[in-house]
Amino acid sequence: MLLTKPEMEKTIERPLVAVFDEAVEAEEIDDLTLVRRAQSEDMRAYDLLVRRYQERIYATVYHMTSNHDDANDLAQETFIKAFRALKTFKGDSSFYTWIYRIAVNKTINFLKQRKNRVQISLNDVDFNAEHDPDLVALTSERTPRRDLNLSELQEKLNEAMLKLSEHHRMVVTLHDVQGLSHEEIGKIMDCNVGTVRSRLFYARQQLQAYLSDYLK
Amino acid sequence: MNSDSENFEALRKLMAIKRHETPPPGYFDRLPDKIAHRLVHEGGSPGFWDKVIANFSFRPSFAYSFALAAFGALTFSVISTIKGQPQASGPTSPDFAWRNGAPDDDFLDQDRSLQPLHLANWMGNTNPGASSLPSLFSQGAQSNVMSVSYASP
Repeated sequence: MLLTKPEMEKTIERPLVAVFDEAVEAEEIDDLTLVRRAQSEDMRAYDLLVRRYQERIYATVYHMTSNHDDANDLAQETFIKAFRALKTFKGDSSFYTWIYRIAVNKTINFLKQRKNRVQISLNDVDFNAEHDPDLVALTSERTPRRDLNLSELQEKLNEAMLKLSEHHRMVVTLHDVQGLSHEEIGKIMDCNVGTVRSRLFYARQQLQAYLSDYLK
Repeated sequence: MNSDSENFEALRKLMAIKRHETPPPGYFDRLPDKIAHRLVHEGGSPGFWDKVIANFSFRPSFAYSFALAAFGALTFSVISTIKGQPQASGPTSPDFAWRNGAPDDDFLDQDRSLQPLHLANWMGNTNPGASSLPSLFSQGAQSNVMSVSYASP
């Protein structure tokens, strides 16, 4: 059977797309390959990058703002700005660091503009929290926090976080909540490791003072 | 120091709550579509004004430089306007004819280029009290008016 040229192209393309899909699903395709494809206007490749990092970017912004709607807007704007600036991405740093940096700058600018107009709109604590060993340990001890339910504790914690300066809150979010290393935070926030450590220490001290009733 | 570490450990455990704060179910399934939709409708590449606004919001130094340049341009335009006024009155201007047609000593003493700069003058103020220029309808001016014929020879 003879195939026309478009049919032949389709037959050749399909397996390549399938291979690409499988590789993506298995997370075999690295960020740089996806970035190179996205730079040549491949929206599918960019979509995969979005799916890969959306949870981390959203979480960072959410923990900084304590507001789901603000986090939603900022996460979207981060990915839109990143796509528009993608041509300037040379690959000197990882895409992960680069997009985090965009999110951090956007969030800090947003918070500076917002100043004291803070509106808390917290997400629910998921069901798995009840089985988190850290939280189980906390609530099993005989402390004032034992009398609080999880959502009240969450509210107190977020209120304390919002009392920190933007830079201190960012370091706590990236290190204590997201588990990034000091070195990674230094790259993202464009400062040295010593600064990260001192900011983290100061921020923890402040949080400790604000939450002293719940840490006894 | 040890008690500090212990307290930080307690704080670290408390921070675990934040890891369990999650957006509504299905949120991360919809977010990539929303971003793709915005990219298609708002355009992938930023326009001129987007770039300018972005520079203003992310680089305060750009805003200061722009303000300085705008102020410089305004100052330069004001100065050049003031300086350019006497030069603009060339030999063919009515101003030149007025001055040449008024040879009286009184008029020669009142050279426009030497008069003190007054805001009311270069702003085009029509208040005769604010102007230091001699009136065209004074006695001396009327005596020097020449009749002109436009008829072709």
